[in-house]
Amino acid sequence: MNQFIDITLDLLNGFSYTLTIFFVTLLLALPLGLIIAFGSMAKFKPLSALTRGIVWIIRGTPLMLQLLVVFYGPGLIMGQILMTEPTAVYLTFTINYACYFSEIYRGGIESISRGQYEAGKVLGMTKSEIFFKVILLQVVKRIIPPMSNEVITLVKDTSLARVIGYYELIYFAQRYQKNAGLLWPLFYTAIYYLVFTALLTFLFRWLEKKLDYFKA
Amino acid sequence: MNMLEIKNLRKRFGNTEVLKGVNLSLEKGEVLSIIGSSGGGKTTLLRCLNFLETADSGEIIVGGKSVYCATEGEKPVVTPEAQLSFGLVFQQFNLFPQYSVIDNLMLAPKLRAKRMSKSGKHESQEEILARAEELLTTVGLRDKRDNYPCELSGGQQQRVAIARALMLSPEILCFDEPTSALDPELTGEVLRVIRSLKDSERTMIIVTHEMEFARHVSDKVIFITDGVIAEAGTPEEIFEHPKTKKLQAFLSHTKNDQDFT
Repeated sequence: MNQFIDITLDLLNGFSYTLTIFFVTLLLALPLGLIIAFGSMAKFKPLSALTRGIVWIIRGTPLMLQLLVVFYGPGLIMGQILMTEPTAVYLTFTINYACYFSEIYRGGIESISRGQYEAGKVLGMTKSEIFFKVILLQVVKRIIPPMSNEVITLVKDTSLARVIGYYELIYFAQRYQKNAGLLWPLFYTAIYYLVFTALLTFLFRWLEKKLDYFKA
Repeated sequence: MNMLEIKNLRKRFGNTEVLKGVNLSLEKGEVLSIIGSSGGGKTTLLRCLNFLETADSGEIIVGGKSVYCATEGEKPVVTPEAQLSFGLVFQQFNLFPQYSVIDNLMLAPKLRAKRMSKSGKHESQEEILARAEELLTTVGLRDKRDNYPCELSGGQQQRVAIARALMLSPEILCFDEPTSALDPELTGEVLRVIRSLKDSERTMIIVTHEMEFARHVSDKVIFITDGVIAEAGTPEEIFEHPKTKKLQAFLSHTKNDQDFT
């Protein structure tokens, strides 16, 4: 029993690393994704082509490979590792998720009718006023379901951090397998993921309900 | 003095010339109806006046002041004052769905007051609210002030849209087929509101397919086809004594349609 409690607490410590990766990524990738979305919708063709090219590369290769390239790549070229494991993890996850988010944003923004922009314009509103006061909330309402998918995927993708030797929940659990021959802690980690994704599911449901007062 | 003067307005989309030099003048308090078949250029003319499209060349003068003057290959920047000389009521209402009726009315004036607060004189929040409530009363929707657009009928939404446009006190209020998206039994309430605005001496331009309404509410009617004003005159001249073959054909078509309904 004591062992069970000890391992539960130790895994909780491991899960705090998972949560840190999750929240740092979300905090940085949500705004960055919006910037990338604007880039890919830019009227200036070279910019939109470049942005779409980057999004293609990021979405077209495995996140695991991207982690390895970001962490070990500079070492191969310049002979030394440039950043610590957590930096490489945050950087890679942020860019990767921002690219996915950008496509969700773009879909949401382009689905808003032109009439909403035109109504704002004839009422003398500026472009940024129209975007932030009229368009954005309608976009948010529409992208909640695809966003919740992506965010839940992020929870589980954090486990990829261990390919460059950074800590997260599964890394902690596997130590018991290697050091003590215990397999159950590894299976036990599923509970942590399930509880957390359940919380996220409730949060997104609540948000959806909250925005249910209007139709867009 | 003319409230509005349009001089030789031209607009092309790619290779298609949609407006081929439109000239027009309107006095204060006059109501102008624009009729014509689809694709003739009437909506484009209205959109050019509201700067949703920028005319390629020509001049727009409001109250003796030139607000837009373009020559071939050179388009001026539209100033906020020029933009606000005109108001527009859309066919599809285009209310902001996430705001209540009263907030739909107040959003743009509040943002405008905030922008102007840097330069001194601006309307206070209380003044904006008072004006919004007054306008809602005018369109008969005072009791819907806290409802959301999705809770209103099409006719009610369009009346809110009219009140919202009036909040910015445009010199000239434009309507782009204001009843085309409405069920037939809802057009009456919207047309009544427009008629009441005429009584308050408001200068208006209405693109419409409602011939009976155009005949009764307008001081002037123009018939636009192929990007030009083919005929202009009083409602009586246009509807009773059409001169051109095209207008005669157009009117007989719409008459036939009305016989069906």
